[in-house]
Amino acid sequence: MNEQNSDILSKVERYYQEYGLRARELKNEGNKVIAYLCSLVPAEIITAAGLVPFRIRGDVHEPITKGDTNLETIACPFVRSCFDLSVKGRYDFCDGLIIPHACDSMARTYSTWKYSLGLPYSHFINVPHTLRQSSMEFFKAELNTFRKSVGRYAGKDISDDDLAEAIHLYNENRDKAKALYELRKSDPPLITGTELSKILTVGMSLPIAESNELFDVVLEELRQRKESPLQKAPRIMVDGACVDNVDFIKLVEDSGANVVVDTLCIGTRDYWPHTDVRGDPVDALAHRYLDKINCPRTYREKVGDTFQEDAESRFGDIGSLSKEFRVDGVILYIYKYCDPFGFEVPARKAYLDSLKMPVLYLEDEYSAGTIGRLRTRIQAFFEMIG
Amino acid sequence: MAEEQKKGERKKRRTATEAASSIGPMVKESIGGTIRAKQEGKKLAYSFIVCSYDEIIRAMDVVPVWTENYAGVCGAKRDAERFLERAESLGFSRSLCTYALCGLGFDQWREELGEMPPDAPWGGQARPDMMLSSGQILCDPRNKWYQAAQQYMPDVPIYDVALPYPLYEDDIEVADVADYYIKYIVEELRGLVIFLEKQTGKKMDWDRLSELVDLGEKTWNLIWETYELRRAVPTPMGTGDAMNTMVPMVFMLGTQEGYDFYVGLNKELKEKIARKEGVIQDEKYRLLWGGGLPSWFALTDFNYFNSKGAVFPVETTYRMIEPIYKLNIPETNDPIERLAWRWLGYWTYWYDKAKKRPGSEPDVERLIQYIEDYKIDGVVMHEAFSCRTWHLGLIWQLNQLKKIYKPIPILILGKDEKKKVEKRELPSLILESDIIDISSYSEVDTRNRIDAFIETLESVAKNKGT
Repeated sequence: MNEQNSDILSKVERYYQEYGLRARELKNEGNKVIAYLCSLVPAEIITAAGLVPFRIRGDVHEPITKGDTNLETIACPFVRSCFDLSVKGRYDFCDGLIIPHACDSMARTYSTWKYSLGLPYSHFINVPHTLRQSSMEFFKAELNTFRKSVGRYAGKDISDDDLAEAIHLYNENRDKAKALYELRKSDPPLITGTELSKILTVGMSLPIAESNELFDVVLEELRQRKESPLQKAPRIMVDGACVDNVDFIKLVEDSGANVVVDTLCIGTRDYWPHTDVRGDPVDALAHRYLDKINCPRTYREKVGDTFQEDAESRFGDIGSLSKEFRVDGVILYIYKYCDPFGFEVPARKAYLDSLKMPVLYLEDEYSAGTIGRLRTRIQAFFEMIG
Repeated sequence: MAEEQKKGERKKRRTATEAASSIGPMVKESIGGTIRAKQEGKKLAYSFIVCSYDEIIRAMDVVPVWTENYAGVCGAKRDAERFLERAESLGFSRSLCTYALCGLGFDQWREELGEMPPDAPWGGQARPDMMLSSGQILCDPRNKWYQAAQQYMPDVPIYDVALPYPLYEDDIEVADVADYYIKYIVEELRGLVIFLEKQTGKKMDWDRLSELVDLGEKTWNLIWETYELRRAVPTPMGTGDAMNTMVPMVFMLGTQEGYDFYVGLNKELKEKIARKEGVIQDEKYRLLWGGGLPSWFALTDFNYFNSKGAVFPVETTYRMIEPIYKLNIPETNDPIERLAWRWLGYWTYWYDKAKKRPGSEPDVERLIQYIEDYKIDGVVMHEAFSCRTWHLGLIWQLNQLKKIYKPIPILILGKDEKKKVEKRELPSLILESDIIDISSYSEVDTRNRIDAFIETLESVAKNKGT
């Protein structure tokens, strides 16, 4: 990690295109790599165990083939793509797999993943659906079960100090990610949405210390930019789930807008919330992953008497970010077969309507082919919001 | 009977048992009963089946409105499309759970009109006083549906009951985690009691709850015993009928009416067995319905199987796994704890068996047990496009089964402890459609696939005989 600053974006590009390159190198050096799906896996615990966490991503350019021989096509297309790449061996450097109870497409396919990949280690983290105190207590117990299990695999008792150190590193990473978002506040932004998506995606493929180092160099490089690579254009927020390929963001930007903020999993949903550094580290992790990550798979009890009050409680982060980043319009980008997000589409739209924020809802199938077909609708939306 | 003559509706399906044929009127009466209960001022709760809270609701005199049931009724009557379209027009994707879409379309329409939508099937679905969501480890829609409905009914409160169970792991035993799972489930169910007390203004009668849990467990055991009668050859009842007789199992647990139904079914099956009267007399193929909810609008497909000499003596869908006394429920006088242990035991029953067969998995063990116990010749599953909950993992389970039931002769140890050669090939079929979205269904294509499957069964049978 000693590249000159000018090389850093090339390095990001290489890590993005050859996703998993560094994890493979680390595996070859004798490290154990633990793959995981979704933002709900506390990677801090994997790091604290002395293992290398590696977030699996899909590939919208790779047709799903082998995966379909073991996994139904009615699963979320993002999960299908991740599974397909995994059974084709793209991530064959991984020693283990962690799947959280994020949604049916993950929970109901855990066995399929486990036996299809035949990895030495696997674990399912049962994330509760509600935020009551009993749910938090349960989740803490479940995280301690994971802590013991992964510790057994690593041959290490994971101490509170190990966890505190990992939490510190991950919080640093989130600070740096947030600093990258600051570069989007100018008009036009100093960083494109496509660039940021690549950086954030790559960040989740690296050991956290290396991710921090990468982000530092990227920040240094970007802060020296004299001119934005972008023109002034409508400022767009993308709201949705896990967008880990830049094709959609690039399409939006190529269609005449600047993506300036998001509420995506590889975005503010996961990169912004910190873990509390006071008190018991497992308590703090439970609180972050269950409550602070605002994912629709977690039920939040109704607040107030009206729908509007409840919507403000559930989606207020969207409204705050839209103000903070002076957003002109929101694209609600949802994958087909995604029940957690799909059932919120009318509510999210209604909330944005109440803010008088133009919104375009797009349902997609996690494929480069289908993404391309969205261009006309996106362009029409930009014409509408001027 | 004007409703029965509406367009698109088909004549009544032929059932093998009297009990199954009595279900339609029972469901109709149940739905009408919720509307009457509303008029009488009783408290109504939108509820989901298999949530371990049946007896709690009954003990509190809250009337459950089974929303999945009503969507199923709309589907069976081939009258779901207008509600699905309405949900789609509100912004819900048609790829989502169609039970939920049907319910949301109906609810939004009812709220907009201030009365039931026109010609609502069987009088319509009554407006609830509360909604009981279910944050289980399975089924995202059960966690999101009522929250989405609250957009149209903001005055109706929700209690979301978390009911987790541990997934099967190689390095973790259920006993390792049971304490905190049970603690959590118990707290969630006690929270439900507090919620219901607040909504109804009355206190829980704990003795009554204990009695209803007793009744629920007695019914559970009776159902298991009754369904086991279907091992008989010829089998007296098939899965087509079981898709009717599931109604008291999942909508009436903890009621005397539910228990009495199975007393009657038990008697009827025993009488049919004594008379050697089967679904069909000359059973050529005994099939396992190995996964998936049925297409409620196409239950006649089961009759079509029967017409080809195939019967389904067993299914994994809507079935008590084993009697309560086999679920290792610790002694306790606390009815809530009993419900919690019942829940955990229900979901983890096959874990020990899976541990004994490396590479296996509980769902596969369940299939193997039924294949052996019911002398099964083939497995049929249904993949409903809109439901990930029950329809993911089916392909993989069949692939695992193929490792055991191979299309080659294998050497096995017989009961007399002598080695013998057996051909245990087990053909399988996955039908593809939906639970209630009829636009996903083609009768011609489905029956062509069934025909081809029957030909495979014939071929395998001939091969076994050589």
